[in-house]
Amino acid sequence: MAAHTLPKRDEPWIIRTYAGHTSAAASNRLYRDNLALGQRGLSIAFDLPTQCGYSSDHPLALPEIGKVGVPINSLDDLHVLFDEIPLTEMNTSLTINATSMWLLALVIALARERGDDESALTGTTQNDIIKEYLARGTFIFPPEASLRMIAEMYEYCLDAVPRWNPSNICSYHLQEAGATPVQEIAFALANALGLLDLLRERGNIPVAAFGRLVGRISFFVNAGIRFVEEMCKMRAFTRLWDELTAERYGVDDAKQRRFRYGVQVNSLGLTEAQPENNAWRILIEALGVTLSRDARCRALQLPAWNEALSLPRPWDQQWSLRLQQILAYETDLLEYPDLFEGSVVVESKVEELCAGAREELDRIVGLGGVRAAVESGYLKSALVRSMSDRVSAINRGDLVVVGVNRWTEALPSPLVGGSDGGVFRVDPAEAEETLRSLEATRARRDPSRVAASLANLEAAARSGESMMEPSIACALARVTTGEWADTLRRVFGEYRPVTGVDGQRLTLDDEHTRALRQRCDAFAAARGRRPRIVVGKPGLDGHSNGAEVIAVAARHCGMDVVYSGIRLTCEAIAHSAVEEDADIIGVSILSGSHVELIGQLADALAAEGASDIPVVVGGIIPREDVGALEARGVRAVFTPADFSLTEIVARVLDIVGA
Amino acid sequence: MSAPDAASSDPRLLVAAAARGERRALARLVSVFEDSRTDAAARRREALAALDERGAAPRALCVGFTGTPGAGKSSLLGVVAKALVERDPTLSVAVVAVDPASVLSGGALLGDRTRVTFPAGERRLYFRSQSSERALGGLGRTTFHVCRVLERLFDVLFVETVGIGQSEIEVREFADRVYLVLQPLAGDQVQFMKAGIMEIPDAFVVNKCDEERAARRSLHALRASLSFARPGDDDRLPIFSTSAATGLGVDALVEDIARSRTSIAPRGLTAAARAHFERWVATGYGELGLRYLAGVPALEDVDAAELSFDREFRRWVCEPPPTELHR
Repeated sequence: MAAHTLPKRDEPWIIRTYAGHTSAAASNRLYRDNLALGQRGLSIAFDLPTQCGYSSDHPLALPEIGKVGVPINSLDDLHVLFDEIPLTEMNTSLTINATSMWLLALVIALARERGDDESALTGTTQNDIIKEYLARGTFIFPPEASLRMIAEMYEYCLDAVPRWNPSNICSYHLQEAGATPVQEIAFALANALGLLDLLRERGNIPVAAFGRLVGRISFFVNAGIRFVEEMCKMRAFTRLWDELTAERYGVDDAKQRRFRYGVQVNSLGLTEAQPENNAWRILIEALGVTLSRDARCRALQLPAWNEALSLPRPWDQQWSLRLQQILAYETDLLEYPDLFEGSVVVESKVEELCAGAREELDRIVGLGGVRAAVESGYLKSALVRSMSDRVSAINRGDLVVVGVNRWTEALPSPLVGGSDGGVFRVDPAEAEETLRSLEATRARRDPSRVAASLANLEAAARSGESMMEPSIACALARVTTGEWADTLRRVFGEYRPVTGVDGQRLTLDDEHTRALRQRCDAFAAARGRRPRIVVGKPGLDGHSNGAEVIAVAARHCGMDVVYSGIRLTCEAIAHSAVEEDADIIGVSILSGSHVELIGQLADALAAEGASDIPVVVGGIIPREDVGALEARGVRAVFTPADFSLTEIVARVLDIVGA
Repeated sequence: MSAPDAASSDPRLLVAAAARGERRALARLVSVFEDSRTDAAARRREALAALDERGAAPRALCVGFTGTPGAGKSSLLGVVAKALVERDPTLSVAVVAVDPASVLSGGALLGDRTRVTFPAGERRLYFRSQSSERALGGLGRTTFHVCRVLERLFDVLFVETVGIGQSEIEVREFADRVYLVLQPLAGDQVQFMKAGIMEIPDAFVVNKCDEERAARRSLHALRASLSFARPGDDDRLPIFSTSAATGLGVDALVEDIARSRTSIAPRGLTAAARAHFERWVATGYGELGLRYLAGVPALEDVDAAELSFDREFRRWVCEPPPTELHR
């Protein structure tokens, strides 16, 4: 056989689209449409209340119902979500973390009620709490309790649901938070080792089965625009994982040492300016994780070209799906063995990445492992520094982003000219439907069975018994998402991790910075104190990087910044601004709930007699919504197009009169 | 629009509105005490006079929370403050949390609020963040002044220091009771013996004791190092093990603070006025100012002193009696 042929053409990776919104019924329709379009697996997006363990009728949940994913309140919703979808024939990926055990319990309960074979379930619960603490923000419980839940899921699934990946080690979000390729590899591998070490220490997995357990570890990886390096990164990951699992855990079977990973390509680099260019970025990024057969992804989901503008519409998702189908079925990519074996350039780059990652991994192990490195703030500071470097490089023009800092003049795009402005909107009226069905579930169920199953869950949580079966019993009893999470909150408490505002360093344009510092000094001399801004994130969306970068930039320019953190009610933000006698409030909203949240904030400020405190908003905010925000008193709206930090701070100072 | 109008900055009106429970007015009143302009001293005197007229004398037990960075001071403080108002429906609590300023820009990132969640609408709790404004010693330039107004409006006043670890002596000067918050010790007890900070507190708190084993270990380690650092004192010093995350041990700490309210008579800030004033002079007028200050008699009214110092000092520098300068 010639070196360039395979015995038979490879099967394509699992082609899917990250989707879900509005309600269980609407998402079910969407999934059935996507499957009809030729998608080969499901990737389910949950709304923020579901991810953070709140039922839809919780005050923090109301503005967020169905916004960034599907709301799931009880087993009744899951029946609707998978209606007419063959559960056991489908590879289903659930993007869920702090409440992973609950969602897995719901899926198992669904299989049991439908009469499906529980052991035939195939899929993944994302379930990587470490990256939630570092980057994504939908954590609930402290590390100890969270890691115990993950471990219990592995212990349960290994025999009962052997084709389920109880968690995905996510390096994806680390890159979104600014990680360099070396950091991405090292942090993800440290995370995986932490998990395997924990499972080994717990001693519930027989030694003979440990190789099988190692084989269940899977990864969720990002692919950025530097696609040659990204391809090499995947080869480095594969090589290092093979080494580590053999050396550290003595796994003999090469298949169990295989680096299995799914990919969502980079959203960080997608731009709001000239958004049509993102289509090319997505294509190129997809190549990085598919070109090399030896390090090809198992599953791929692509964002839509307009993700920096809003949530994608079905057509936008179809366009991305077609890209995958063309790559997998039209091209000859799957006909060849690995294209890069023997390449001197690729080998040298891979070795460089491996060496850097080994060094960083040793450092983390030396700090006491991934958990210690999270709790001490080491990992967060490292990420924040990388992100500051990236932002600084874009600001200086050293990092070219087409349409953003080079070739910014462009013809108007017909793609955003449609009647919907090229963006997708969730109909707020549909949230009522979700609330009604939650109420109906509560009315129908047997309260004594609910109370008993919650008591069992609490007892297991306190005693150290596995919480898996008690959670499944809760699911079958129609316990709600909020009730399940509240029970465990009582036992474990809630966690607040280290914020990323420490340890950032910014390189901003010196001249601008000097001018801004002079303005702040002049303000202080005239008013007796520095201009004071309260920065916070209302709602449940936990992507804190934008707010943190702004907070650091404002301090860098000489403002006093009260950083009040994430997952706040609008009342709490208004209250902070009043108590701190702030000159201005800056909020960051990426969940799409900006109109509702700004309305709530304006009401809360009015209730405190503080409507005169100006408000500025940053986030993914469609131009069409700016008017509605201004009508509620917002003085400035910053979107991903406003990439100059000094410009943003300058406008804030204009507003406070500095 | 953002420039404060006359009504919103008149100290007497602010005092009246703050006394009615208006949060906005209270916050602005605090701002009067943070104001760095020279004429702010006159407004502070006016506000304090208005408070005197209303009979709002200093009453707060002033509690210092100091300790190493990362020990979880803010989270613990949040939980403790909440527990205090829950157990006593008449009690009010204020928190002043100080964070460091950037040496380069002078701006500060005040992040302690991220660790504290007070129940919505609870009017008996007040939280204020403050910049250290390049001052050393763990407190800000105006912490003293802000405490002077809050001690008249709240029953318990917490002051959380910057948390730089070894130079947080200042809080000792005006707190009635000081807690040193540590995280479970990492074994290197010798460090603690050397650190002057071990000599400051009235009680120790080992926070982040989410795990019983670590908590016990730390307790023994701390006892052992105390017997070196404060021999004779060590048996008397209470040590609390807490976890802000699970609430473990918080009751005992809250009980200790509540007991201190009845057993310790708050001394008010008058005792600390001299120390504050010396620091104010040192910051603004340097070594020469301190030398002049040595001749100034006991201090009753710090605002009057600040007002007159500038004028007096300038005159003194311009026409110094020759012996004074070389004293």
